[in-house]
Amino acid sequence: MNRLFALFATLLMALAAMAALAQQSSGPVESPADLAKQEQQRSVTQPYNNAAIWKNARGAVEGYVSIPAPEAGVLIQDGGQNWRALRNGWFSVIGGWALVAMMLVIGGFYAWKGTVQLHDSPTGRMIERFTLLERMAHWGTAISFSVLAISGLILLFGKTLLIPVIGFTLFSWLAILAKNLHNFLGPLFIISCIITFIVFVRDNMLKAIDFKWIASFGGLISGKHVPSEKFNAGEKLWFWGGLMLLGLVVGVSGLVLNFPNFGQTRATMQLANLVHLTGATLFMLGALGHIYMGTLGMAGALDAMKTGVVDESWAKEHHEIWYDEQLKAGNVGNAGKAVAPGAKSPQPVAIGGHD
Amino acid sequence: MARMKFICDAERCIECNGCVTACKNEHDVPWGVNRRRVVTLNDGIVGAERSISVACMHCSDAPCMAVCPVNCFYKTEDGVVLHDKDLCIGCGYCFYACPFGAPQFPQAGAFGVRGKMDKCTFCAGGPEKDNSKAEHEKYGRNRLAEGKLPACAEMCSTKALLAGDGDVLSDIYRERVMRRGRGGDLWGHATAYGRPDAKATGPILQSIPQKS
Repeated sequence: MNRLFALFATLLMALAAMAALAQQSSGPVESPADLAKQEQQRSVTQPYNNAAIWKNARGAVEGYVSIPAPEAGVLIQDGGQNWRALRNGWFSVIGGWALVAMMLVIGGFYAWKGTVQLHDSPTGRMIERFTLLERMAHWGTAISFSVLAISGLILLFGKTLLIPVIGFTLFSWLAILAKNLHNFLGPLFIISCIITFIVFVRDNMLKAIDFKWIASFGGLISGKHVPSEKFNAGEKLWFWGGLMLLGLVVGVSGLVLNFPNFGQTRATMQLANLVHLTGATLFMLGALGHIYMGTLGMAGALDAMKTGVVDESWAKEHHEIWYDEQLKAGNVGNAGKAVAPGAKSPQPVAIGGHD
Repeated sequence: MARMKFICDAERCIECNGCVTACKNEHDVPWGVNRRRVVTLNDGIVGAERSISVACMHCSDAPCMAVCPVNCFYKTEDGVVLHDKDLCIGCGYCFYACPFGAPQFPQAGAFGVRGKMDKCTFCAGGPEKDNSKAEHEKYGRNRLAEGKLPACAEMCSTKALLAGDGDVLSDIYRERVMRRGRGGDLWGHATAYGRPDAKATGPILQSIPQKS
């Protein structure tokens, strides 16, 4: 019932906002100076009729206040109620169920298709797929993302899901930990995203071949082979749409919220919070797909990012164009060369673990 | 059971900031935090200037309570909205949601890191034992437990700011409004600063005795 009311109220507010905009464009709006003048005249003819003064009270104009704090002169701000209705309503409800639905879809897909196995047996000839720098960039981003996602979920849904289980005090400790991790890892995540961009952008340029991949969804459902470069179109979309676009969205909105010492208004922070929620929800939805494909969904994918090398057969079956390039360049079978000196030389454990 | 409320009569407030000072003094409010403030609208415009004292209004459906991620807010039997600083994580959400700008955060580190939220308690302390040392250190004095009303209203020199049982406040304010219809012959804003004569209208207003 409450939720229904919130929904209705939001619709009404949207309508009111549109009406206000329409009014703005059609007729003159009463400026604070106009209202003050009206009140001056009214104080003569109708003493104690303060209507004009209180028209200004709802945040339209800052009054004078002797306290040097941002927005201290605002008597009443309306935005908080809208933010509350949206955050506690649509944004957390839709976002939360979307995450649950995504997990169910992935679970169903796994039950249906299982892990994509290699068709040919591994040849034992390894190719370097990710350099140490590339892997560090990936795992730096991945680990900070995971911590941010989990701590963010604790802060948004813990009140509903965890307090009834672990109680107020324990949850408060957990929330303090989550808040501090979220606030300190946030900026690190942004830096990780930038490093990831620099390291991986060259291999993520969209080409004509990628549209073919998208049209057949990478053969994920049909099982048909679709050739792709070092990164297939799905990975490229995750790079641009996920890491770059959503990274920018959650990064910028997160910084607005993380550093409240620049005098940003509550309206800015309310908007930033809703943008952050939306971006983070989409980011987590994408990440669930990405993590599934990188672990359970595809044999050999996780090993590639762990060790940096893949078997020849894996390369041929999943990234044929890239494999052909590597073959031509004579890189097949001499993996490990590019690994930084002093680092443990990776054991070729890509598929099945034998060589 | 009383429902505690604040009311500020803008016709009486003279922007002396006595309520702000009384509050800061009563509760040893930390530097940078003001549980109460006085806002002046149309400052300096003769005939249109009004001041009003504002703090936590102890809402019936409190937005701070609704958005708090750790559920640290609670409502007393008197309708006072209080919070538990031991649970507060300093996220700032109550500050986004509050219409009155009541929740405040002492800075707890570089880059504006927020400490535990502080706000008006209606002089009713916190969850600790009434008037214990722990309660006093975190929330200030618990005047309600001593049978006293909030210090700000008690201190108000023009009785613009009233605090207490909502029913009693309503009666006081209603009487003021009725009397003013006659011509502000109580201690209204206009009485302090002069006002043009206005003729009384309506039977109810005429029934109130007029100052000669």
